[in-house]
Amino acid sequence: MIIAAEHLSKWYGHVSGLNDVTVSVPEGITGLLGPNGAGKSTFMKIVTGQLRPSTGSVRVFGEPIWGNPAQYRRLGFCPEQDAFYEHMTGMQWVEALARLHGMSHDAAQAAARQALDAVDLLDVGDRKIGAYSKGMRQRVKLAQAIVHEPQLLILDEPLSGMDPIMRRRTIRLITDWARAGRSVIVSSHILHEIEAMTANILLMHNGRVVAEGNVHQIRGLIDAQPHRVSIRAEQPRALAQQLLAGDDVSSVRFDGDAVIVETPRPDSFYARLTGIAASGEAGAVDEVTSPDDNLQAVFSYLVKS
Amino acid sequence: MTAPLFGPARRVFELTLGEMLWARRTAFMALAAGAPIVIAILARLAVVNGSAVLTVNGNRIGTQAMFETAVSVLYLRFIVPALGVFYGTSLIADEVEDRTITYLFTRPIARGAIVLGKYLAYLLCVAAVVLPSLALVFLIMVPFQNMGPLFGKLLTDLGILALGLAAYGALFLWAGVSFKRPLVGGLVFIFGWEPLAMVLPGYLRYLTIAHYLQASASNVASVLAITAAAVLLAMRTIQTREYVLEQ
Repeated sequence: MIIAAEHLSKWYGHVSGLNDVTVSVPEGITGLLGPNGAGKSTFMKIVTGQLRPSTGSVRVFGEPIWGNPAQYRRLGFCPEQDAFYEHMTGMQWVEALARLHGMSHDAAQAAARQALDAVDLLDVGDRKIGAYSKGMRQRVKLAQAIVHEPQLLILDEPLSGMDPIMRRRTIRLITDWARAGRSVIVSSHILHEIEAMTANILLMHNGRVVAEGNVHQIRGLIDAQPHRVSIRAEQPRALAQQLLAGDDVSSVRFDGDAVIVETPRPDSFYARLTGIAASGEAGAVDEVTSPDDNLQAVFSYLVKS
Repeated sequence: MTAPLFGPARRVFELTLGEMLWARRTAFMALAAGAPIVIAILARLAVVNGSAVLTVNGNRIGTQAMFETAVSVLYLRFIVPALGVFYGTSLIADEVEDRTITYLFTRPIARGAIVLGKYLAYLLCVAAVVLPSLALVFLIMVPFQNMGPLFGKLLTDLGILALGLAAYGALFLWAGVSFKRPLVGGLVFIFGWEPLAMVLPGYLRYLTIAHYLQASASNVASVLAITAAAVLLAMRTIQTREYVLEQ
């Protein structure tokens, strides 16, 4: 086990962020699935030693994490928040953070180049982060997390805001990372994202782990809910036309330059969207996001039953 | 579980120096350091034209006396404490507010090294601006023939300013590490408490930094002790404090 949490609770004043969580995370990829406010980020912040549990304990690689900075040699964290030193270039930023791992200037530069290459940002590494798109910002965050080649990668909603092609590449990066014998904990509120990376999931709701194990067991429940996707594209109308041609889309509407799609079959839909984006027939697809109301409905159902 | 301090602190120092150049407060620092130079030029021009800028009891105040007033009032009572409070409180608080502290806290370095590196970067940055500013004001205001005898006084003033920047910065660094909104309290301290305590009878003046910035060997030791204690306290506080970032 790489992470062992026992009776972990976290209170923010009178608000409960995590409620008596006892869980063991095995090696490989583990998906943390739950709607916003489920406690995923709180769990990740405790596991990465940024927050101290109110009660209970957590051990990473068999050692405590709070107040134990040596653990960060083996751990890389990609936070959810969109926060950067905006005036720095991607290369400068990743290199500066690599230097904090004790690397020499040359080693940090080489590691930063390698990390940026892994997330397909090497060609824009000399551009300021402030000028990056949402997807590029997500990827440069991922680059800083992998720059020191950690044994355990903890990723909080890493695919949020990425275009379909980058989403697919990032999923491949994560699965390759695990295939090389390292471990990943990745959170999302979108089942099919998690499913593309692992079958091993922890389901979280209201600060508790409500289920753990194989993703296929809850698959049917989630598919029964309509799945809503927001796509920001260069040519929204052309994209909508292409999407409506498939039988996996039940409705389409426009919201500014975004197309809001409802699909009863997310797998088929996302595969087709990636194909459309790759072909370029409907212009560039800049950003894909999915609200968590479909998952929220599933959790409401699970909690009631 | 003790991690090395000085190597990581040096790396944080390098990172912070670059950051400070782009910080929102840089414009304020440039203004604070530039204003006395402009005032000095105007004063000198007025004296050259034969009109006294200041008179006391009908006596004309020369540029040399004006320089001394600039040091004690403009620099020591305003610029140095203001830079200390604006920069010191922001060193950690800005990273927390901008939610970039996560990237520093998830590196294999002691949190104390982050505080130390940032503090040293602050000190270098403000000293590199304020001390040359004072030297320039000296060159502009003090008549050439008086410069030689007053050079020792200039060096003492530069030392006092450096000590002031160190002490105020350290105190407000600790405040920034410890409290959520440290700026208001800091401003009240430097512009409310200190001027008041300095004129009140009794021992209240000992609870100010301004009191210790009066040149004497024992005061230098006191300022150094306050600085070291505040930095160590800040390093210790950050080690145990939890920062809940707003999403």
